[in-house]
Amino acid sequence: MRYLKIKSDKIHPFLERLSTYGALYGPVKISEEFYDYRKIDDVKDVAFEYTRTVTPAKKYVIPTRQDMFEFDMDTNEYRETIGEVEPFVLFGLHACSIVGLRILDGVYLDEYPDKYYKVRRDAGIIIGLSCLPDEYCFCNLRRTDFVDIGFDLFLHELPDGYLVRVGSEQGHKIVDENQDLFEDVNNQDIQNFKKFERKRHEMFQYQGSFDNLRYMLELTEDHPLWDRESDKCLGCGNCTMTCPTCRCYDVQDIPDIDGVHGKRIRYWDSCQFRSHGLVAGGHNFRETKKDRFINRYVCKNAYFYPLGTAYCVGCGNCTHFCPANIDFLKNLMEIRGISEGVYEHSR
Amino acid sequence: MSIADNIYDLHKCRVLRVYDMTDEEKLFLLRFENSETAESWTFSPGQFVQVALPGIGEIPISICSSPMRRGFFEMCIKKVGKVTDIVHTLHPGDFMGIRGPYGNGFPMAEFEDSDILLIAAGIGMVPLRSVFLYATDNRWKFGNITVINSARYGKNLLFRKELEAMRDIAEAENINIIQTVTRDPEWKGRTGRAQEHIADANTDPKNSYVVVCGPPQAYRSIFDTLIQQGYDPRNIYVTLERRMKCGVGKCGHCIAGSSTHLKYICLDGPVFGYYDIISTPGLI
Repeated sequence: MRYLKIKSDKIHPFLERLSTYGALYGPVKISEEFYDYRKIDDVKDVAFEYTRTVTPAKKYVIPTRQDMFEFDMDTNEYRETIGEVEPFVLFGLHACSIVGLRILDGVYLDEYPDKYYKVRRDAGIIIGLSCLPDEYCFCNLRRTDFVDIGFDLFLHELPDGYLVRVGSEQGHKIVDENQDLFEDVNNQDIQNFKKFERKRHEMFQYQGSFDNLRYMLELTEDHPLWDRESDKCLGCGNCTMTCPTCRCYDVQDIPDIDGVHGKRIRYWDSCQFRSHGLVAGGHNFRETKKDRFINRYVCKNAYFYPLGTAYCVGCGNCTHFCPANIDFLKNLMEIRGISEGVYEHSR
Repeated sequence: MSIADNIYDLHKCRVLRVYDMTDEEKLFLLRFENSETAESWTFSPGQFVQVALPGIGEIPISICSSPMRRGFFEMCIKKVGKVTDIVHTLHPGDFMGIRGPYGNGFPMAEFEDSDILLIAAGIGMVPLRSVFLYATDNRWKFGNITVINSARYGKNLLFRKELEAMRDIAEAENINIIQTVTRDPEWKGRTGRAQEHIADANTDPKNSYVVVCGPPQAYRSIFDTLIQQGYDPRNIYVTLERRMKCGVGKCGHCIAGSSTHLKYICLDGPVFGYYDIISTPGLI
């Protein structure tokens, strides 16, 4: 892999240059507590030390609501409405978000590649950024805390700048076209990189791996926590909306007022909604809130075999943004038979 | 498939005939408008298509005809919801949008040289008709065939008249057709649940493939009866239904199972083997 260094004073010029490759989006502090990805008009707005964003990066490849077709009810004909997708640069994605996009790739670009997804994915340049975990993060247990691929450039924090890993041809191109901003990595930088990684590793609340969790989950169907926790659940769907890998969508036809033309649209759906498993005739395959609650735990902890990881990347968003304070990680630990304090603590 | 294709694009199909099957079900015969599609489009028994009406929506419907007739196919559609209500108003000459076929279908090549036992309860006869017609169209490839068609009332027995009309050919071709009802006092023929008639099938349990389709609650006792009578669990198949928006593993609605066996009914199914069913909680 190709490594470079960018010094702290070059980072804003670098962001300016990035915006020449496409519309620049990155993390911005939007309130006292929250960050979100926003269009960057002033590079000084970019937040480098954020942990999580209110909305996940998936919104750039799967819009919350998008047109699929325009139809004509008289002729029964459809016209695809993908439109032009302008190039864009996503700056500051953490490792979990990058793995999240790769999981979405596996779903959307399999043997039936989804064109709507593909045009957006191809238009995006991904610049990763290292991070330190908060109390909700468990990407280490999911083995998604460090990424090898899925980015064009990845920036690792150093005391005086960033160590840059180049992850794609597009990444090489960006580096080559902006050589004046980069320098070689020296021995001290390598020591600092290792130090940062060690510090990050030690900050996680739990150590270990979740690889056997899916079996334990399957064997724990009648655990009392399902009733207890699903009873708290409001069924709002915040957990799935903020999840970097939840990608269920619903489709709807919206006729125009002329009664002839209209649009077929798709928009984010959530398995926490009652309509998700409902079929015509009234049968619901996930009838109760508990059924729907368990469904999310099952789905997120299932393995996505093309990547060898769970669908859950351990970002902690579902816990952080849950209005009912349902703690996903704590519940998973309970399923593993580990109550707080007993599990090997790193600190 | 290249990315130039939009997987959600629809083929325009013309409705040629509409038969009233029961009070709730109609049979639609369709053909493709585009001649190239008509010639190249094919499917396997057990696969389904997405049926679209502009302004109304899209629904998954299984194909119930034999794939041997190119360019044409049939669907038996129950009037049960928003889209099917409108589908039932269509007349010959009207259009539907179709994409697919989707799903795995039945492993018909594996069935060759064996007997075939088809067990349908209620609307379950729809996907099984495709298997049955395919098997009769390729009669020399298969052993004995039995169809058990069951419903609550005689008037609900799907394809009852078609199966009755096949009596002569059935006799000549070693095909046993059993139609039974569970609640109809007027019914003159056999009564009782489908599994009560398995013993009368002309199929050899030691060398048979069994396909079961019906409401989820019917499966357990049918499986039990089959296994008790010596049918090999490895040769038992079912076909399932779910809410689906895409048919291609994207929209997430049809996901079922557990964290070790997460299945997409649209991609991994809708046909599942007996051991898939018992190791995947929530499938039925």
